[in-house]
Amino acid sequence: MINSIISQITFVAVLSFFAIGGIGALLLRKHDTFANIWSHFFAILGSLSGLFFVALMASGGDDLSFSLGAFAVPFFSLSFHIDKLSAFFIFIISLISLFCSVYAIGYVKHFYKKYDIGALGFFYNLFILGMLLVVSSSNWLFFLIAWEVMSITSYFLVVYDRNDPQNVKAGFLYLIMTHVGTAFIITAALLLYKFTGSFEFEAIQSGASSIPLSIKNTIFIFTIIGFGTKCGIVPFHIWLPDAHPAAPSHVSALMSGVMIKTGIYMMIRIFFGMLWPVPVWWGLALLVLGSISSLLGVLYALTEHDIKRLLAYHSIENIGIILLGLGGALTFLSLNMLPLALLSLTAALFHTLNHATFKSLLFLGAGSVINQTHTRNIEEYGGLIKYMPYTAFFFLVGSMAISALPPFNGFFSEWLTFQSLFLGIASLSLYEKWIFILAAGSLAFTGGLALACFVKAFGVTFLARPRSSHTSGAKESSLSLRIGMGAMALLCLLFGIGSSHVVVFLESVGKNLAIFKGTASLISSSGQQVVVGNNFGSVSLLFLCICFVFVAGLVFYIVTFVINKNQKIETGATWDCGTDLTGRMEITATGFSRSIVTIFKGILRPSIQHDIEYHDAQSRYLPKSRTITLGVQDVYQSYFYQPLNRMVSLIALRVKSIQSGNTNMYILYIFIALIISLLFVL
Amino acid sequence: MNILFLQFLLQIIFLTIVFLHISKKNLDAVFAYAVQSFTIVILLLNSFFETGYISLLFIALLVFTVKVILAPGFFIRLIKKNELIFSASTYLNTPITLAILAMLAAIAHSYRFAPLTSIIPAHEMLLSLALSMIFLSLFLIINRKSALSQIIGILSLENSIVAFAIFAGLEQSPSLQIGILFDISIWLIIATMFVSMIYQHFGSLDVTDMRKLKD
Repeated sequence: MINSIISQITFVAVLSFFAIGGIGALLLRKHDTFANIWSHFFAILGSLSGLFFVALMASGGDDLSFSLGAFAVPFFSLSFHIDKLSAFFIFIISLISLFCSVYAIGYVKHFYKKYDIGALGFFYNLFILGMLLVVSSSNWLFFLIAWEVMSITSYFLVVYDRNDPQNVKAGFLYLIMTHVGTAFIITAALLLYKFTGSFEFEAIQSGASSIPLSIKNTIFIFTIIGFGTKCGIVPFHIWLPDAHPAAPSHVSALMSGVMIKTGIYMMIRIFFGMLWPVPVWWGLALLVLGSISSLLGVLYALTEHDIKRLLAYHSIENIGIILLGLGGALTFLSLNMLPLALLSLTAALFHTLNHATFKSLLFLGAGSVINQTHTRNIEEYGGLIKYMPYTAFFFLVGSMAISALPPFNGFFSEWLTFQSLFLGIASLSLYEKWIFILAAGSLAFTGGLALACFVKAFGVTFLARPRSSHTSGAKESSLSLRIGMGAMALLCLLFGIGSSHVVVFLESVGKNLAIFKGTASLISSSGQQVVVGNNFGSVSLLFLCICFVFVAGLVFYIVTFVINKNQKIETGATWDCGTDLTGRMEITATGFSRSIVTIFKGILRPSIQHDIEYHDAQSRYLPKSRTITLGVQDVYQSYFYQPLNRMVSLIALRVKSIQSGNTNMYILYIFIALIISLLFVL
Repeated sequence: MNILFLQFLLQIIFLTIVFLHISKKNLDAVFAYAVQSFTIVILLLNSFFETGYISLLFIALLVFTVKVILAPGFFIRLIKKNELIFSASTYLNTPITLAILAMLAAIAHSYRFAPLTSIIPAHEMLLSLALSMIFLSLFLIINRKSALSQIIGILSLENSIVAFAIFAGLEQSPSLQIGILFDISIWLIIATMFVSMIYQHFGSLDVTDMRKLKD
């Protein structure tokens, strides 16, 4: 009881810190430095309190339910229900917000005198507050308000750098897409209300048996569109590669690392709680969507030259991987294979945590690089490791983690997802088995392509020589930026090394859900080894670490003592006629990815444009320079959104003629509406 | 009072609305409105004699002052002051207008509106007629091009609603009575402002001349 009261007070304090941080920043907007320090100090304080709150919840063990105030508004209540699942997402939000806020103290300095720091602090704090409310509310109307707070504040953060028209355009697209998604969410909520008579999550869960299957299927589709738009599931992802890069980098880190996960949270809440029991095809549909999203996400990332867009596409890929876990869990659940379902859900939750850490790290790294070079085009980077060694190291850690290389965290969650898919292949009947095989195949492809993509991203950005004047003036980032990135990098390592413990904890989060109460565990960890099933698969961290050290040592040995051993520096005429090595001789990001893009040209539909400039334009014998522009056609825009847009515009034109400007016509509309309404009602 | 007499009074109101639809002169429309309002006053007085509520007498006297004397007087002064040439133009010609009036009256009398018109079963015929008056008044606003006759249409709609309320047994409700008075005063203020402003701006009260406002 006392623990519950303390938890309740702590949670309200967490929310208050962010509110104070936001409002205070707005009041101090005349002084950039004060606004910066105030807003981020309270954001850090709020995040730390959030972590403390999660620790309290973990030690207490019981769910926390409470309401704030009593409202005369029907159906509405400020009611919170925080179980282990909510606490897990509060943990992610607090953890990432903490380090993003530390990073932001130094990062936002370059906005001084240019934009309003107070407004940034206000929206930043409110954005985090909105996310916390989303994962803790237990009333649909309250949830929708929180969802809107989160969406609208993030919109203002996306358009914060408003001098760039591209950012404003990206913000507009985001605003449209997020509200299309919200419209579907509201419809789903209203359908749930119609059949259960309540907007309270718990009441809906207990009355779910009265919902007919056809309505459940409709709610499922609406939920996928609504929350899938926020998550960035293909084909509802089109806002994501534009909006995430447009925001300031610490906000991009939060949006990509945390905000899109709120969609995943609600999917778990609805599919594993409110709508249970569910048909098998839901899980299989999620598996198919996950496979498509992960594969297409990484393929589009490969074609990108904008570092933040590249990372944004990887978010789509990783959401796909999380969906593979979620889809597997839902399939197993509907087939009443509870231990396997729990395993898949654990894998999904683990990847949610891991993606939050390494994607935030990568966005923070990208932000540091952009801050120094003032460009997002990776073709203009190169050799940054010499100028920004810490940033390069942290970015390398993030790249290794996202590429699922041990001993970092990304490897373990992808391994666990693989195990759940393999167990599905081993235990399911023919029809489901094939979908699991395709999902596992797509995950394998995705893993390989992600590695290739980050070899490109890291290699082109940090290695070799500068490709443009932007790079040569770069300096290492300031201390607060390095602390933010360093802490994230450390987390990537810790969640990897401690994966055997993390997995057990996440399994307990899954077990806390009503449907998994008393479910037997398929995961066992002994020391540094994680074993899945009855020795179906196992991974030993100790062995991996030994391998890692051995391989690293071997590479070092080969480079130092074998390759460089007999090399003598000779001076003489070389094949390049004595020309110094320059950035133009390096492989470009386009060149690196071109072969892979060519393999997948059926899906990516690349457009290659060659431009040749001649010394003598008339004789055209001696080319001065050749330019290859590799573009990828946006099939979703061309074949779905643009036709949809044309159709809406056409309807809008027709509708416009209704608005004639004549009062008589307007009264006629009212009259017709009155007659029809009366005929309908009476 | 005899129900036949009540029906006769309602028919007068109905006919004034039909007359408003086909009248070609401004002054005729204002007189028709005055007659219509006077009939409403008689209906209210009838309610007063039947129920004995003194407030109804007060309302009837106020309606008489505002709707029968002040409002028509105001309109007549306005017409004379501005020397308005009445724009008789309607969107539809008279035969089609009359056909639509017949259709609207038929709709109001149809069985689909029975739940509305049978609130007081004894007054079903009267309520149907009052409902058709509401529809006809609305159509008057739609069909007329002149802003002045549109305002008279709106005031006629008020009268129709009051007539409907009286036969629906709502005349004793104080809130309705206050509502009627409040509505009248507000509408008169708005109408004055509206007409003066439009005339000052455009030198005409024909809404078709205001099309340049569009876009």
